[in-house]
Amino acid sequence: MKLSGEYVFDGPREEVWKLVRDPEVLMKCMPGTQTVNKISDSEFTGEVTVRIGPFAGVFAGRVIISDEVPPQSCTLTIEGTGKIGFLQGVGAIEMTELEGQKTLMKYSGEAQIGGKVASVGQRLFDTVSKSMMKQGLDTLNGFLKSNAA
Amino acid sequence: MDKRLIGKRVVRNEDPRLLTGQAQYVDDVNLPNMAHAAMFRSEYAHARIRSIDVSKARAHSGVIAVYTAEDMGADCYPGPPLVSPPPTVKDVIFNSRRQVPLVKDKIRHAGEIIAVVIAETRYIAEDALDLIEIEYEPLPVVADIEKALEPNSPLVHDDLDSNLAAHLVQKKGDYESARASADVIIQRRFTIERGTAAAMENRGIVAQWDAKSEALTVWDTTQAPIPIRNGLAARLGLSESKVRVIAPFIGGGFGPKIMMFYSEEMLVPWLAIKLNRPVKWIEDRRENFYATTQERGQVHEVEMAFTRDGKILGIKDDFIHDTGAYDPYGLTTPLNTQSHVMGGYDIPNFTSEFRVAFTNKTIVTPMRGAGRPHGIYVIERMMDIAAKELGIDRVEIRRRNLIKPDAFPYEHGIIDQAFAPLIFDSGNYEAVLNETLKAVGYEKFIKEEQPRYRAEGRRVGIGVLPFIETTGVGPYEGARVTVEASGKIAVATGVGTQGQGHFTSFAQVVAEQLGVDVTDVRITTGDSAHFNWGTGTFASRGAVVAGNAMHAAATMVRKKILKLASKVLNAPEEELELEDGMVRVADIPQSSISLSDLAALANPLRGAVEPGTEPGLEATAYYGPQYGPTAFGVHAMIAEIDPETMMIKILRYVVTEDCGTILNPLILEGQIHGGVALGLGNAYYEKLHFDENAQLLNASFMDYLLVGSTEMPRIEVHHLETRSPLNELGTKGVGEAGAIPVPALFAQTMEDALYDYNLEIRETPLNPNRLFEIARKEKTA
Repeated sequence: MKLSGEYVFDGPREEVWKLVRDPEVLMKCMPGTQTVNKISDSEFTGEVTVRIGPFAGVFAGRVIISDEVPPQSCTLTIEGTGKIGFLQGVGAIEMTELEGQKTLMKYSGEAQIGGKVASVGQRLFDTVSKSMMKQGLDTLNGFLKSNAA
Repeated sequence: MDKRLIGKRVVRNEDPRLLTGQAQYVDDVNLPNMAHAAMFRSEYAHARIRSIDVSKARAHSGVIAVYTAEDMGADCYPGPPLVSPPPTVKDVIFNSRRQVPLVKDKIRHAGEIIAVVIAETRYIAEDALDLIEIEYEPLPVVADIEKALEPNSPLVHDDLDSNLAAHLVQKKGDYESARASADVIIQRRFTIERGTAAAMENRGIVAQWDAKSEALTVWDTTQAPIPIRNGLAARLGLSESKVRVIAPFIGGGFGPKIMMFYSEEMLVPWLAIKLNRPVKWIEDRRENFYATTQERGQVHEVEMAFTRDGKILGIKDDFIHDTGAYDPYGLTTPLNTQSHVMGGYDIPNFTSEFRVAFTNKTIVTPMRGAGRPHGIYVIERMMDIAAKELGIDRVEIRRRNLIKPDAFPYEHGIIDQAFAPLIFDSGNYEAVLNETLKAVGYEKFIKEEQPRYRAEGRRVGIGVLPFIETTGVGPYEGARVTVEASGKIAVATGVGTQGQGHFTSFAQVVAEQLGVDVTDVRITTGDSAHFNWGTGTFASRGAVVAGNAMHAAATMVRKKILKLASKVLNAPEEELELEDGMVRVADIPQSSISLSDLAALANPLRGAVEPGTEPGLEATAYYGPQYGPTAFGVHAMIAEIDPETMMIKILRYVVTEDCGTILNPLILEGQIHGGVALGLGNAYYEKLHFDENAQLLNASFMDYLLVGSTEMPRIEVHHLETRSPLNELGTKGVGEAGAIPVPALFAQTMEDALYDYNLEIRETPLNPNRLFEIARKEKTA
């Protein structure tokens, strides 16, 4: 399952990068996030509640950041398991500066899903993941703007 | 033979019970102190189990026990091979790998059971499943049957060198020389994908252990209660007489319920003994999508040699068959495919080679059609392609090749699914074709109606397609017929019933011999306490194999009745008639005795009987054919398609079936209607979508589309009767007939409807999306 998109932040690239790399911020941004634990600078674990169609459940997950080129790009390796299935994915994030103190984030990745998420939820998975992504990035952008204000 | 009852449109004896909710299904069995099981199934298709922690589940309130493979110890071993030994064809390879009750170390398909929770209620058991913690090591997945056989593929079974489950070659004549002398050679590749039977009732098992009498009773949604009884007794170390297996009313079998032993079938009875409590497990729909066997995955590379005037010189077919993670059912399905790749045609040269591949998918076992639709799809698609290439009408090219009435018995010189010689016993194929053409109005449609539709811009196509169905295979079935003191007839057989109308068609066979009302014959099926021997309901064999056993037993009872009545009435046997539950002397109606009185005389309470006399008016008989009879049919369809949406409307659907002697046309038509519904699903609605990691992406009826009543056309059924010379009744099976030709017929009809698209369909199942893609590609190509 492929996932890709882009988002324009209303702030400079360094600021965006700082927020993205702050687990406290991420926890607030990612919808359904219950805990985020920093294992190292490039490894985080946490729990996220996800609802896909008729199923809802907690995913316990791990995110590893690699190939990091601050404040430009990195690779995310994500794995999550829960009662409603499992997810494994690798994604790339790339940020470019735009005129007027704006930043363009491009993301693309591939996820493997299994369990109920796949067998019953696959048709909704794309929509749900996109909407969660948008919701998260909107919140992040909100932080960015309030920090700047 | 008197045909008063056989062949009559008798309404079904079982329907009042079924329609008023009085029929017992497995889930209706509720016993005091009964516990409920829920299965923890793997979400991964291929993974090693690193650790299992069930401690939290065990501690959960209301949980009685949790078992893993380790807890089961030495009792956790694979089920027996269902079809054994493999066929003795030269150089056959068969690697038998069977499912276990609980998986210990390596998961081979999503849905395999790792642990079982038994709790006071199913709700509690399901809640406790959430508390089980498993650590997996995901492994590379074998999802594609062709890649599965490539040298670098990951292995489903690590102890094998490859994923090759079986390899078998069968030959007739000499294809290579046929090829050398051919005018035209046609080569194609066909892909056939998986569907599920989607029986209305999922599987279910209730097991009850009586420790005091050391007796086990199991209610099981199986099509094979007697073999389940025998296998359970062997597995659990019990005497067969101490195990009773009951297959009560079952909401649809369709083949997957003849599979044995399912993991749950090994587990639930074991748990009932272990816990000394009745245990119930009822499969839910999502489990059914993973854990109940499926069918249809094959890839064929076919070559056919023709003369210019359309005569078939030979076929060469190489195919790969997907067996899923295990192959408990042997080679039945691919052998059936081989038996059907020649269709109903006179083909002198044939080479067929198949390889069976293990994949990380649900186990494949026969599902209504059982390999036959694949064979028919391949040959009939090739016939359509040949007709186009040779410029011969598609009906005409078929007519030229159908086996002629005087060629029967037609010996193919290869073996069938039962390892018996593939011999078509009898038939009148061209007559069935002609009947269908007449009924559907083929000539008129082609000459008048279709041009008119096309002038109006409507795309309406016609398809006409013959098929064979090998049926009624052995080894045997039996029946016991008893005249009870009430004068009613009690009949028992070992086959189970899943909606086939056994309580009526069997009753007709018996009633005809004994001169009673069909409603006075009470049939018991699928209860090992009532009949001790049998193999099961499968391969369109009930009416043939059990039906002829019924006939034989009833004939024996008739003789006993006549012998005794002759003495009592003091009249020669030849002058006696059996009618209305009475035995009468033909010319003297007042000289008669009821079956009830006769039954009492046959089983006296006092007095003396002659030495050697058996009590009662009862007989048990068995029937086992050397090989099964082969039925024949032709389906025709007229359908309109909207090329914008690829939505279809079936305007006519005509079936002509020749399954030998008809026992009951009402039941026969019901079988055909149901079969066509499944066939249409296979053709245009139903498909299991697996991703590249063998994760099933449509495991619910939200996404898996079944044919609804609104999509079903009115089906016109016509009959021809070419009696089978192989059995007394002259019957041939019909259970799968409705389903077998539909995907091929559908493809032919769509190609004809979309005449301006230059379409060639080489895959099934289709759906509107996929047909749109193919049509667009072919049109632009």
